[in-house]
Order: sequence, then structure tokens, then C-alpha cells
Amino acid sequence: MLEVLFPALVISSGIALSAAGITIIYMSTETFNFAHASFTTLGFFIVYQLLLMYGGSPYYYFIPAAVLTGLVGVIVYFGVNKWLLKRGATMVTLMMSTLGVDLILFGFINHWADFIREVFGGEPRAFLLRVYDVEVAEIFGASLKAIVPISLFIVLVIIIGIHTFLTKTKFGIAMRTAIENPTLAKIMGVNIEYVYVTAWFLGAFLAGLGGAVLSMVETGSPYVGIRYIVPLFAGSIVGGLYSVFGSLLGGFLIGLSQQLGIYALSVTFGAWITGYRPLIPLVMMVIALLFFPEGLGGIKWSQVREKIGVLGGE
Amino acid sequence: MPVQIPPILIEILMNFSIFLIVTLSLNLEVGYAGIPQFGRVLAVLAGAIVAGAIPGRLLVLLYNIQVEWKGETITPLGSEYANHLLNFPIIEQINRDILYPNPALSILMFFLTLFLAAVFGAVIGYLSSYPALRLKEAYLGITLLAFGDALKLIAENYQPIVGATQGVFVPNVYGWIGRGGIQFTARIAIMLALAGLIFLFIERISKSPFGRTLKAMRDSETAANVYGVNIPRLRGYTLMIGGAVAAIGGALYAMYTGSMKALTYDRVTWTFWPWAFMMLGGTGNNFGMVLGVFIFTIFRTLIFSQKFLLEAVIPIQVAWLEYIMIGLVIVLISLFRPQGIIPEKPDPILPKSHIERIRKKVVGKKE
Repeated sequence: MLEVLFPALVISSGIALSAAGITIIYMSTETFNFAHASFTTLGFFIVYQLLLMYGGSPYYYFIPAAVLTGLVGVIVYFGVNKWLLKRGATMVTLMMSTLGVDLILFGFINHWADFIREVFGGEPRAFLLRVYDVEVAEIFGASLKAIVPISLFIVLVIIIGIHTFLTKTKFGIAMRTAIENPTLAKIMGVNIEYVYVTAWFLGAFLAGLGGAVLSMVETGSPYVGIRYIVPLFAGSIVGGLYSVFGSLLGGFLIGLSQQLGIYALSVTFGAWITGYRPLIPLVMMVIALLFFPEGLGGIKWSQVREKIGVLGGE
Repeated sequence: MPVQIPPILIEILMNFSIFLIVTLSLNLEVGYAGIPQFGRVLAVLAGAIVAGAIPGRLLVLLYNIQVEWKGETITPLGSEYANHLLNFPIIEQINRDILYPNPALSILMFFLTLFLAAVFGAVIGYLSSYPALRLKEAYLGITLLAFGDALKLIAENYQPIVGATQGVFVPNVYGWIGRGGIQFTARIAIMLALAGLIFLFIERISKSPFGRTLKAMRDSETAANVYGVNIPRLRGYTLMIGGAVAAIGGALYAMYTGSMKALTYDRVTWTFWPWAFMMLGGTGNNFGMVLGVFIFTIFRTLIFSQKFLLEAVIPIQVAWLEYIMIGLVIVLISLFRPQGIIPEKPDPILPKSHIERIRKKVVGKKE
């Protein structure tokens, strides 16, 4: 059980971080970022490339991967998103434009994989970074790799960091204002452009970081993005799309239910069911969209408690 | 001397007709009705599943074809039909003994497959109207995308329908025409004719009162509602028609290639590319679809036919270059020309001659 739980925790952390990135970009710019899973793939490839070039441990390259991916997000903002926002394009056009970015990034990452293969050798279409990981403890016979505590620690740091940024710093408060009411924020002298750039940087930063975390348990390839786009969206949507912490929670929920849920099902029904693993986030996302459009962050717990109380009273 | 078309032209025309059908159905839903259909692959795949699963089994049942399996003689209808060891000999037997010597039956099977695909596609469209009434814009788009992915996942994993990852073969309904070049010429002619018919059909629909109501709904749902338009029913009909047409496209493609593999029906090829074609041509304009699909098909087929020549010159594989190009087109179109090459034109409500006649009548009375 534990040998299933540990990687599940890491995968959930990766999904949660990237999903929080989707939410940040969506909250600020109303753009559903289709290219987000490609940002996550960039995280994989930056870690791999730097590891091939400079050696050492993959952990050294987590921060560079996050920052470089964040810069790609800034480029996407200045190249595409800015002009569409200025024109007041519809949500569907905004989404389509990021789809174009996604296809470009997919082509680029594939070319990069060819490049790595030619210049550095290695297996850019199926690389395993978990071989560089170290075992920190053995619990009931299951080996606890360093990435498990590290990924949870990263999530904790991000939660504290974002919370401090949004509530304690002047710019963070201005950013919240701009998200709540862009017109009013503009009147009060908030430079909304800075808010958008920051959102894209932070969003892509988290995707890159999530990718780096995932690369320690998942096989890296240019197709990571295609596999992960649905869990990422699902995490963000289940989290309610308007709350960063909701999406972190949603990401964990999606990650844990797809990893542990399929494990439980495969124990009951047999191994054939693992092929249906991607169905779990799909189903959860559709249920969330149709029945809880406000997401986890939007459930009014006081009402739920009241309802439960009513049921209990009967 | 039979008519021979060069292979590259066959490739271009085949892709052109299939993608024209799919893109037209997308345009009806997106361009006319304003439904963000990010799950086009759903109906296309549904059509292909029909082509892969039904006609073969129907013929097995009708002609009581039997095979040896695990020491027993059985009529393969369930998962045995889709078994990768048995499927090829079964289809081989169907083609050689039943379909090739029997033109009438082949034609019947062809139309029956298309009809069943259209029905299945319409059912799928009807089912997707459930979220389409409750969600808006990007949320609806993502839900539809999830539906498409879910069906692909099931088709890829559930062996008894269409053989999961191994896929199944599709009976060849064109076999009676002849062998080699002439058969392919006929296939292309049939597919082009069907694409043309569907073009006329969609164009007719969009010029009809139904099409104008769709545009009214797209532009302002509230206003359309005030004027007594039944929005749920209208959306349901649009999704059903769109789904049926897209499923015909999928079934035609499966019958052309002669095999049905769920892996082929990915969301990039069957949802995002039609979106790119539609945006390039001009959303909301059926002639734009023809142009958009034509430009892309020529472009794609040409760079692939010159693959080796190109790869000697440029330092990137053509497959990746293609993704980058299509992505660039989507980005550039949405930045610089969101209306596409041929923008949508406002429809005149009455024919001009009719308006002239009324004007003359009114002016004549005054004089």
C-alpha cells in the first residue's frame, strides 16, 4: 500500500502545483491556458537538459526549471495574450490562442528531444530521473524516496508564499483587487498590465515546478503534456477556478483519486482496469462542472452542515 | 485504359473531402450556433466505431460465417469478432466471398453504414446537449473535450467493440468496382460527391429560417428567447445535425482506410485541426470552410510528400514543423484576422428582387 501511496503523493503534488498555475492565469486574465500542460513538460525537459549538461542531482535544477518556464509564460503573455486582452476577445478566442501556443510548444519540445538525442545522447523520449533519487528511510518495507517529503515541502512553501504574497504585500493586494474588479483597480491606479504579467509568470512558474516534481516519479517524454492536460484542468476545475488554494486541494484530490482509486479498483477487479485510469479525472471534472460549478472552494460548508443537521434531526 | 490519378492527388482529395465534412459540421455548431465544440472527435470517433463494429458483424450474422476458435466452431459476433487473430481472416472472407461479387450488397452496406453512423452521431449530439444547456463558453468547451477523450479511452481499452489498441479491419465496400487505380479513383469520386452533398445540405440549412435563428441565438440568446425561440430545442437540433455529419465523416474515413484503430482518433487531429481550418477560412462562412480546408490540405500533403527533400535543408523534422506551423496559424489568425480569410456576410432577410417588388409597390401606391 505504501509503495503506491508515496508516488501518488508526489504525482498529486505535481498536479496540484500545475493546477494552481492554471487557476492563477484564469483568475487574472480569464484565459483557460491550454498550453499549461506543455509548460509542465518544459519543466521535465529543463531539468533533464541541465542534468545532462552539468550533472549532479536533479534537485539542483528545480528552481531554474520553474523560473525558465515562468519566463516562457511571460513571453506567451507579451506575444499573444496581451493583444487579445486589449481587444476584449471572447473567452473562446483566448482559449483557442493558447491552443495554438500549445501546438507550437509541442512541436518545439519534440524538436528539442531530437536535439538532446543528437547532441547529448540519452533517452529524451523516455527518461527516468527517479534513478538519481535517494532513499531517505524505509517504512514497513516500502522505500521512502527523498522526493516524497521534498514535494510536500514545496507545496507547503508555495501555499505559505502565495498566501503571504496575496495578503501581506502591497502588490499582492493590488493583484487581488485587479482580479475582483479590474475597472475599479485601474481607477485606483493599479497597473493592470503588471498584474497580468505577474499572473502569467507565476502560473507558468508553478507549472514548471510541478513538472520538475513530476519528473522524479514519471517517465519523461514530449507526450507528458498530452497525458497530463486533463488531470491538470480537472484539478483546477474541481478546485473551483477562482481559488488558488482550492485548486491545490483539487489537484491533490484528482491525483490521489486517480492513483489510489485505480489501485483499489485493480485490486478488486484485476489489472485490466488500469487502462481506464485517465477516466477518473475526466469523470470528476465533468461531475464538478455540471453539478458543483463553484468547485471545492465554493461549497458553502455552513449550508452543508445545516442540511446534515436537518437530516440528523429527522 | 482506366483512369489513373497520381497518388499524391488521391491523398489530397481524400483528406480534403473528409476534413471538409468534419469542418463543415464544426462550423455549423461553432460558427452558426456559437457552441464551443471542443469535442468534435467524439462524433467522428462514434462514426468510425459504427463502421468498424457493425457492417462486419451484420454480414457474419447474415451469411453465418464460422471460424475455429479454441477448438470449437463458432459464429464470431462478440469479442471474437474483434480479436486481432480472427478479425483479419473474417474480413478477408467477407470481402472475397460476399462483398466483391455482390455490387448491390456492397452499395447497400455502404449506405447502411453511413446511415447508422449518422444516427449514432445524432444520439451522441443529443446527449451532449445536456451539458450544452447548463454550461457556457469555455466550461462547455472543456466538458465536450472531456467527453471526446472519454470515448476514445473506452474504445482504446474495451476490446469487444472495436478491438482496443489492435483495432479491427473494416469490410471493403468499394471492392466490386475493380482493383488498383480505378478503385481508388472511384473512392475519391464518391467521397468528393458526398462532401459536396453535405456542403449543399449545410449551406441550405444555414440559409434557411433555422440557420438565421441559430445566428440570432448566437448573437443574443436573451433577445432570441424574448422572440419566442426555444433555445434548448434549437441547441439540441444543432448538436444532433452536427454530430450526425461529423459521424458520417468518421465512418467514411474508416471505410476508406479499411481499418479502425481508436488510436487514430486523437483530439489534435479531429478537433483542433478542424478548428484551425475553420478559423483560417472564416468562422460562420461555409465557403470559407472549403478554402480553409483546401489550403491546409495542400500545404500538409505537399510538405509531407517533400519530407526527405525538406529535412535535408531544414534542421527540424517535418512532423514537428507541422505542429509549429498549425499552431502559428491559429495564433496569427486569432491575433490579426479573427474573422478569417472570407469573413461572414450578413444574410439578407428576403431576396433582393422581393424587396424591390415591395418597394415598387409602396412607392407606386404613393404616386
